[in-house]
Amino acid sequence: MSRRYDQSTTTFSPEGRLHQVEYAMEAINNAGTCVGIVDPNGNGIVLAAEKRVVSKLLAPSKISEKTYPIDDHICCLVAGFSSDAAILIQEARLGAQRYLYTYQEPVPVEQSVKSICNYKQSYTQFGGLRPFGVAFLFAGYDINNGFQLYQTDPSGNYSGWKATVIGQNNQAGKSILKTDYNETNLTPNNNNNENNNNNENPLTPSINLAIKILLKTMDSSTPDSSRFEITLLTKNKRDDNEVDVQYMKLNDKEIKYYLDGVVTEEEKKKKNEASTSSDI
Amino acid sequence: MSILEYNGSGVVAMCGKNCVAIASDMRYGVQQTTVATDMHKVYKMHDKVYIGMAGLATDMQTLVQRFRFRLKMYELREERKIKPNVFANLVSSMLYQKRFGPYFVEPVIAGLGDKNKPFICAMDLIGAPVYTDNFLVSGTSSEELYGVCEAMYRPNLEPDDLFETVSQCLQAAVDRDCLAGWGAEVYVICPDRVIHKTLKSRQD
Repeated sequence: MSRRYDQSTTTFSPEGRLHQVEYAMEAINNAGTCVGIVDPNGNGIVLAAEKRVVSKLLAPSKISEKTYPIDDHICCLVAGFSSDAAILIQEARLGAQRYLYTYQEPVPVEQSVKSICNYKQSYTQFGGLRPFGVAFLFAGYDINNGFQLYQTDPSGNYSGWKATVIGQNNQAGKSILKTDYNETNLTPNNNNNENNNNNENPLTPSINLAIKILLKTMDSSTPDSSRFEITLLTKNKRDDNEVDVQYMKLNDKEIKYYLDGVVTEEEKKKKNEASTSSDI
Repeated sequence: MSILEYNGSGVVAMCGKNCVAIASDMRYGVQQTTVATDMHKVYKMHDKVYIGMAGLATDMQTLVQRFRFRLKMYELREERKIKPNVFANLVSSMLYQKRFGPYFVEPVIAGLGDKNKPFICAMDLIGAPVYTDNFLVSGTSSEELYGVCEAMYRPNLEPDDLFETVSQCLQAAVDRDCLAGWGAEVYVICPDRVIHKTLKSRQD
């Protein structure tokens, strides 16, 4: 029935839906999972993603598949068509530089997200062109609003999140976040991790949570560190009281370190549950 | 009076052994009045590329903002820092684009290129570049700078000696120019560090 109203972007269905836009959103649900977690203690944001194409034959490129910087203080995770994403990322980068050129101040994260969303929306209303099949997780820092995480979808809608998951199996990821995302869990000292030392990265519990979620949403049970892409957005206070935002992509060794930590924790938990249940 | 002499400036760049130096005066004047003595004319584009601009102050400031825009886009796209010779070409294109309504600046670019080879380049206001391996000058004190650099320059100077030479050349030249002076700033760019010093000079 809806076939009559889904051929063109610019036609509403009798139920008041835009089918093309909804089909675009379906495309996202087949994409590699992306997780974004804002540290409740204000130490930064963790962005983690599952890389879809991992082949020995792929030339190792410096360009990541999922994470892209937009400016010094904003970066994004991509879920969906990489080619569509490339256009939007280019727009976002130019927009950020134009703002910086005009105001000599870094663009506020929400403004950048809004302008990309307006761009996406225009493809759902006029021109007869199909919508972009991309959802982003934009993460950034600005001086007035601190660390922020935004999710955008092909309709041009966006919302701010403390933590969220998009892409394949995102429902499973979101349910883990509902129980595990809270301040106590994500503060390092309260962690039951035995490798607790004072120099530990304050984002470690958030990284561990992100990996835990990806392990749940991935379709393989024996994950290899090459399938993960993890990026941290943190800030350093400089001597002149200015804030320096740092965008750090974890390398293979670091991912392996955190991954091993999480996998051992999970196995320990499973063993504990198994032993307590056998007592009964 | 020519528009290029409205604010007054003196900029010099010199090549040394595995290092380059770039220096400028710090006067910000409006014709004969000195308004400020802390105006930077040498800007860092990144660790190994610096650009100094002589000429109209407003155009210099706008161009720096435009260069930063283009450089940021370059770095995001190519995922690497721009090389000084490539940057020089970018500057040249941007200036020539305004061929019939130019920016009134005469830039001097200094940096370390491939394998940390010293690179200097100077341009006129519509982007005609000149490349040498010794020294280049620009600004209202350019004639004085030519004379003094020609006399004091020697090739293959070590960073500390290069610093001394550039400082003496700049100070001597701008002292003869009423529109430049009031302080000086020197950068010596080496492969592992950048020496940045502000010189105490005649405040007249």
